[in-house]
Amino acid sequence: MTTTDNNKKNAVFSFLVRTLFAAKMAWHGVLTHPLRSALTILGVAIGVTSVVSLMGIGEGARQAVVAQFKSLGTNVIAIHANDVSVEFDPEEAEELVERVSGVEMGTPVINTKAVMRWRRARGTINLVGVNNEFPDVRDHPVIAGHFFTQWHVMQRSPVAVLGYNVGHGLMGGRSPVGHTFTLNGETFRIVGVLAPKGAANAEGIDDKILIPYTTALKIAGKKKVEQIWLKANSTQEADLAVVQLGRIYKRKLGLDQTAPTPGGTQGGEGEAGPGATAEVMEKIAAAPSPRPAPEKSPIPGGEDLITITNLNQLVKEADQANRVMTLLLGGIAAVSLLVGGLGIMNIMLVSVTERTVEIGVRRAVGAKQIDLLIQFLMEALYVSALGAIAGTAGGIWGLNVFSHYGFHTALSLQSIKIAVMVALGSGLLFGIYPAMIASSVPPIEALRRQ
Amino acid sequence: MPLIELVNISRTYRLNQIRVEALRDVNLTIEEGDFVSIMGPSGSGKSTLLNIIGCLDRPSAGTYTIVGNRVEKMNDNQLADIRNQLIGFVFQSFHLLPNLDAAANVELPLIYRGLGGKERRRRAIHALEAVGLGERVHHLPSQLSGGEQQRVAIARAIAGEPRVILADEPTGALDSKSGENIMAIFTKLNKDMGITIIQVTHEEHIAQYGHRICRLRDGQILQIDETQNGRAVT
Repeated sequence: MTTTDNNKKNAVFSFLVRTLFAAKMAWHGVLTHPLRSALTILGVAIGVTSVVSLMGIGEGARQAVVAQFKSLGTNVIAIHANDVSVEFDPEEAEELVERVSGVEMGTPVINTKAVMRWRRARGTINLVGVNNEFPDVRDHPVIAGHFFTQWHVMQRSPVAVLGYNVGHGLMGGRSPVGHTFTLNGETFRIVGVLAPKGAANAEGIDDKILIPYTTALKIAGKKKVEQIWLKANSTQEADLAVVQLGRIYKRKLGLDQTAPTPGGTQGGEGEAGPGATAEVMEKIAAAPSPRPAPEKSPIPGGEDLITITNLNQLVKEADQANRVMTLLLGGIAAVSLLVGGLGIMNIMLVSVTERTVEIGVRRAVGAKQIDLLIQFLMEALYVSALGAIAGTAGGIWGLNVFSHYGFHTALSLQSIKIAVMVALGSGLLFGIYPAMIASSVPPIEALRRQ
Repeated sequence: MPLIELVNISRTYRLNQIRVEALRDVNLTIEEGDFVSIMGPSGSGKSTLLNIIGCLDRPSAGTYTIVGNRVEKMNDNQLADIRNQLIGFVFQSFHLLPNLDAAANVELPLIYRGLGGKERRRRAIHALEAVGLGERVHHLPSQLSGGEQQRVAIARAIAGEPRVILADEPTGALDSKSGENIMAIFTKLNKDMGITIIQVTHEEHIAQYGHRICRLRDGQILQIDETQNGRAVT
């Protein structure tokens, strides 16, 4: 007979009224001790700030590294001779383009130095000798003039394409195309300027000068080049090409012990012996990397004579390594969130003890355990939610500060989501115990006269 | 059917391995419309008895029935409903919530009953008017005198239109004039609205406002006296 007016609709309405009230009372609870609440909120906020900003720095680093690797061009395979004895004939690039399926472009690469004279200034400059396919192989167009042509390469022409910084350094904002300078005393004509790579300038290409490799060989006094860059048509074809290149070079270096007959080289690429693929080397050589590539497997006795690098793979590995880094940073920062959660629990326990009389009065006038549970839980949630909001703002501010000091930062929505969820979760987790204590105080205990 | 019926009620506590018998075989019947004062020296079990009648505590043995509800068989939520709908509490130190104004304090039991805002406010103001505080609706407890605070507490007790008011030393923290004022309100509520009142007190002249005085000693009812205010209780 005490529940006469409790039909279903009333029960829902009643629950709503009570929950709304609990929410209001919880807010009163937060406001009762402003300093205390503010300090607890600060504890949570610091946790959220550190998660958001550290993950932002991690994410920024990841994006920067990935951008750097991406700037090397997509689907690029670099073949690098680690010893003078195995350096390549320049014609080998063309040969490989013909032989390896899925590869349609390539350029020999030779790095050298020369003394440059421009008007009255002189200094040493890094030169890169390549062929006319470079802009397509490395996805690196010119912004002024044009790239040198096949004709220039064949003629060993004294023409040069400047890296962006070099071009800018010579003439400021104006285009230096058409002007001349000397390299080791020989006059070169500037035919183009490369587009800037900026922060993603992994190889320092912005600070170099590109000339036909034929011309570069002459300057260096060499006949062979130390690198070949190939361009595959797609990611899958790049992967296959690396395998194929591995076989080709193993045979070339005479390391294939499974093919004893001299005619073994004609055995056809498609059916090389088992295990051949496992010995393919993919090694990070030219580009900086956060860790050694996992698939590096030296040719027995070959002592890393030749390194074949799939730059796609590098990007992927760098990306993954940095993702792990980011999560690790976030995890470390989350520890401070945990501490913030402990702060909530501490303060809520104090609050429950202080308010036993209030709890008793509420129980006496008809509050159920669930009412008090909700009220105290909401109080903890308010604190953690405010901490999450303040912490997110703090994190965004922190990232601005970091980027001001030259860090690559990237505010990721994911880090905010994680931080806010963990903050609310810790509010719930650490609020539930004090709330349960509050709700289970027997009403007579609560009202016992002090 | 009596409003309240206690049969062979006992309540024992354990305090550091020692069994304390706060109540022993108490039998008490209170009819609707009665006004009972409970007296006795400290430790005689007055508060324990009031807690059990108020469903704040459960007896260790015996049966307790309030308006047909067998209390000792009820769970925590059912007891909360009983307190909310049948009983109004008045405490010695008022126990108002300090950060709520008078009206909001009075609304408290109505909130836990799940009433909507407008209906709550209407009833709260009505209750405050009944105790002569119609002008103090928006005052915080700290802005009210002790007597006024206790009247807010009474308004809170009657806002839910309970069958019985339980008062634990309602005048204990008040000067004698305010105390008499409170007793006048109790008498009026009892007479005009037919609310049953049970109060614990240690002041004889306060106890005399009741119809009957129930005297306790060592957890047992020593005797029940009729006062001049008393009417024949059937």
